[in-house]
Amino acid sequence: MSERKIKDFNKTRRKILKGMLGIAGVGALGSMIVPFGTIKSVSGKKVRQKITKGDKLVYAVGPNAGKEIKASNLSIGKGTLAFPKGKEEHNNLILLFRAKENEFGKPTKINFTNKGFCAYSAICTHMGCTVEWYPEKQFSFDFPHIFCPCHQSVFDVFHGAKVLAGPAPRPLPQLPLMISDGVIAAAGDFDGPIGPQPGGK
Amino acid sequence: MVYGWLNERLDLDRFKKKYLTKVFPVHSTYFFGEIALFSFVILALTGIYLLFSYTPSSRLIDVGGKKIPVAYHSILLINSQPLGVIIRYVHHWAAHIMIAALILHMMRVYFSGTFKKPREVNWLVGMVLFTLAILAGFTGYSLPFDVLSSVATGIGYQIANSIPYVGSAIAKFFFAGKFPAPGSIPRLYMYHVVLIPLLLIATIGLHMLIMVKQKHSQPYQNKDIAKSGKILGIPLYPQQISLMLFVFFFTLSVLFFLASFLPVHNVEYFGPPTLQTPMVKPDWYLLWIYGIIKLIPGNWVIPLGSSASISPEVIGGIILPGVIMTIIALVPFMYKEKEPLNYWEPASLRPVGTSAGVAFIVMFIALSITGYQAELDIPIAACRVYTIVLPIIAFFITYLIIRKKREV
Ligand code: HEM
Ligand code: FES
Repeated sequence: MSERKIKDFNKTRRKILKGMLGIAGVGALGSMIVPFGTIKSVSGKKVRQKITKGDKLVYAVGPNAGKEIKASNLSIGKGTLAFPKGKEEHNNLILLFRAKENEFGKPTKINFTNKGFCAYSAICTHMGCTVEWYPEKQFSFDFPHIFCPCHQSVFDVFHGAKVLAGPAPRPLPQLPLMISDGVIAAAGDFDGPIGPQPGGK
Repeated sequence: MVYGWLNERLDLDRFKKKYLTKVFPVHSTYFFGEIALFSFVILALTGIYLLFSYTPSSRLIDVGGKKIPVAYHSILLINSQPLGVIIRYVHHWAAHIMIAALILHMMRVYFSGTFKKPREVNWLVGMVLFTLAILAGFTGYSLPFDVLSSVATGIGYQIANSIPYVGSAIAKFFFAGKFPAPGSIPRLYMYHVVLIPLLLIATIGLHMLIMVKQKHSQPYQNKDIAKSGKILGIPLYPQQISLMLFVFFFTLSVLFFLASFLPVHNVEYFGPPTLQTPMVKPDWYLLWIYGIIKLIPGNWVIPLGSSASISPEVIGGIILPGVIMTIIALVPFMYKEKEPLNYWEPASLRPVGTSAGVAFIVMFIALSITGYQAELDIPIAACRVYTIVLPIIAFFITYLIIRKKREV
């Protein structure tokens, strides 16, 4: 072989070696990354248990937690966090309150309220914090309202929990109520999706 | 004797001559980077102490009739150890100080123009460091799993979850399911004590290597020396080392002082997670994002078809902060330099850049104040106005001052 040919040969050989090195490198890296794609979440896929007609409401917090809420327990202007009995999961958290019957206006579903009792989902539609019942003046709101402590969204309790202030994108879904044997119960499920929705919907 | 023995084998003399005589320019603002570095060292050391007792699990256990999460319980255990609380607080304070020092360090680099050629790469590496430091803060915040942790981390989950199409998958991967899933705390723990620290160490190493390779930039009065490629300063050993040790111990003592008198994240006060949500605020360095989230009206929804949309959470929690961070990262590429700059260029030679920098700081403060809008009872409309107007005013005032100064 001539000098020249050897040189060319060496050049090609280097190119091939470099190419092989590249492929090996990409392969090694890829094989290290791929396993990450197979990691499973630890939590099982849990679907929310739907609230059905007749589910009695129980206190969710406080000294009476777990006890049924009687209509006589809540006077006008009072509110509490509640769960449907037997379905105590976070997404079923309810904010129950009592107002004067004639205080409600649209878009509150009046037929969902019962004797001045009204219930909304307690999960903020913004980022899922638990909203609170504020019967008195707070900041510039001097009437009863539902308030989210996370980014200070304010919901209008008398008008379908529509958003009065803050970044919440949607009103809180409402829960139909009935009263059976003096105990407050649900008359069906919430009228809309609960809490923030994935993908911004 | 030992030195002689080792020297014969490792040629320590050569090392001494080559590295211990490295010249460091002197200026008090060089210490911001060092304070960040030393805070990181202190974070690692105090973190190891905490690892001895901390248990990463949100499973509930019965303690004296009350059900509390295992992680929360282990923090109570740490608090009950003689030095436990103070080391926890030093760890938390060191995180604050590191991020504060990083911000000051970035400001120093920004206003002295030393992000310019040839230091663009180290500016980008610095942005990675800054992002990692914030991620370390966020994941660390979740670990005590008291009510503040669970709410704040839950909001992080929801922000990720609200990204159209891929958000739910990303959030589920990052938090190992819908937060707080059983796997969430162990995974956040892994990020906080393994992944992020390793990445930080590697990135700090790269940052330092590049800095040594490129040599320090020097204060303006050393301009001519810098132009000749030399450095005026003190040698690493013994002068610079003494200064560094001073800064280290000073940082350490300030941290212990803060930890002794100002409790941070007092878990006993806040209590374990409950159904109710307390008034949570993020740590101060995320307050500006919190402010943006509050400013975006709930009806800013950009529909993307039937199953997805860009919601205000994404705009406020991801897009706008992302745009701001990207703009900062791209700063060096807004200048075209032929010659490498090795000294601190006076800020007045970059009137637009300097004014924009001041405007940005004003905006950062304005947004952080907006974080407390409800408590301060400022109408949100007013916040929207001042968040835009104040930075603009700041820009023009700075610009005019620079112009005036140049005329004289
Ligand atoms: C853990 C994080 C960080 C540590 C420990 C650190 C540490 C340091 C130290 C000790 C120096 C040399 C002395 C000095 O100029 O202060 C330095 C230089 C530098 N840093 Fe950082 N830094 C960090 C993050 C950042 C960030 C967030 C940025 C910017 C976005 C940045 C950009 C730079 C640049 C461009 C230099 C070279 C500047 C010059 O030599 O004048 N660094 N860093
Ligand atoms: S989570 Fe309720 S306002 Fe943000």
